[in-house]
Amino acid sequence: MESVIDIIRDNWLLLLIGQYPNGPLGGIACTLILSVLGIVLAFPLSVLLALARLSPWRWLSWPATALIYVARGVPLLMIILWVYFLVPLLIGHNVSGFVTMLVTLVLYEGAYLAEVVRAGIEALPKGQMEAARALGHSHLGAMRRVILPQALFNMLPSMLSQFVSTIKETTLGYVINVPELTFAANQINNQLLTKPFQVFFILAVIYFVVCWTLTWAATRLERRIEAKRAGQAVGRRRGAKPVPTQTLAAEP
Amino acid sequence: MISFSNVNKWYGEYQALTDINAEVSKGEVVVVCGPSGSGKSTLIRTVNRLEEIKSGKVTVDGHDIHAPMSSAQLNRMRSRIGFVFQSFNLFPHLSALDNVMLSPMHVSGVKRVEARDRALQLLDRVGLAAKANSYPGQLSGGQQQRVAIARALAMEPPAMLFDEPTSALDPEMVGEVLAVMRSLAGDGMTMMCVTHEMGFAREVADRVWFMDAGRILEASDPESFFRNAQHPRAQRFLSDLRSH
Repeated sequence: MESVIDIIRDNWLLLLIGQYPNGPLGGIACTLILSVLGIVLAFPLSVLLALARLSPWRWLSWPATALIYVARGVPLLMIILWVYFLVPLLIGHNVSGFVTMLVTLVLYEGAYLAEVVRAGIEALPKGQMEAARALGHSHLGAMRRVILPQALFNMLPSMLSQFVSTIKETTLGYVINVPELTFAANQINNQLLTKPFQVFFILAVIYFVVCWTLTWAATRLERRIEAKRAGQAVGRRRGAKPVPTQTLAAEP
Repeated sequence: MISFSNVNKWYGEYQALTDINAEVSKGEVVVVCGPSGSGKSTLIRTVNRLEEIKSGKVTVDGHDIHAPMSSAQLNRMRSRIGFVFQSFNLFPHLSALDNVMLSPMHVSGVKRVEARDRALQLLDRVGLAAKANSYPGQLSGGQQQRVAIARALAMEPPAMLFDEPTSALDPEMVGEVLAVMRSLAGDGMTMMCVTHEMGFAREVADRVWFMDAGRILEASDPESFFRNAQHPRAQRFLSDLRSH
């Protein structure tokens, strides 16, 4: 236990920000920046993918469906390697590990979030879309002003847990030398050589604390949303009282 | 105003509407009644093309609703036909006022201030000015349906369609919705109502259409329909109602 505290005392700055300012920003800072940027950029992509997948036009829904299936059906590490070797070929010059990882995360998380968005949209009563269309809104107008505001709000907890997954997935950036938290921990381990258990214990605890805090926040958020929905449902409930016979709907 | 000529509709193998020929004149109130599954809702939903038809023609204000057209044209046409659903379908994330303002602002391009004034007037007209800032979840079923009527009226449609507007309501709330519909009819609105409210039909309707198995079997004024229905199926329907 003492050595754990020693390791933290000697290396806390490396764990926090990597070798910055003498090298690229790394450590927890890099992990969090990657995750936040990843999810923030993946979000609009996921909405577009979900809309494309649900669209009545095949030339739009098929490619979106294919992309989602591929991204969800292939290990993340495989996509990292593909992007790592393919993107430099496509754009003609090398890109940093950070950018590679970010592109990968956006694609991968975009595909997963797209399915969350789609589920959120499909979970709404059909009458919402019908009512909007009957009032003259276009399909996209109805999506934007009626469907998505409701669906996205309902999906906030799922998105937060997707964010937690993203944090954990950034560890794979290690294989392409992204200086994130796992990379920093490995640097420390290579220096110390004799204390792998302690180093990776610290690493696990840091990930656990960050992810558990967010999971806890997601659960709280979910409860609040559920409570809000239940509050709304009270007004909508009907048929709770016995129906008095003299006022039956069909009177002769 | 609304006319059906030789309308046929199929759901796969099942024929939902058969040779519908009928007309709703301007300012007329038509009540469509009949047993469940008879095609009443399907019929009314063809008027703003929530349901497609196989053959025939539905026109509203001279426009052929089912003609091939761009979606922009269809949207414009739909915005000119008010539709009230059985399940209200208010937008739960918007207040009553915003529900009424949404379409004038974003479909017709009315300015916010104007849309707001008009929406407040309409809410007042359905007796809910005090509830303008309430969310649908905070309103009773009857209040929600009245907001839904105000929302449809906000597009200033020349005709209103009602698809069982009171069937999802607790009995004590039916009256308030019917009262709004009655006052609309009194103002000369062209209305087509699918409803089981025979009291309303008798009192407000100019014509009653009786449907069964996808056909209009009888179309007459309410007085003769209720007193002296011609078709045996209509007679049985009415006697079933009376025996309650």
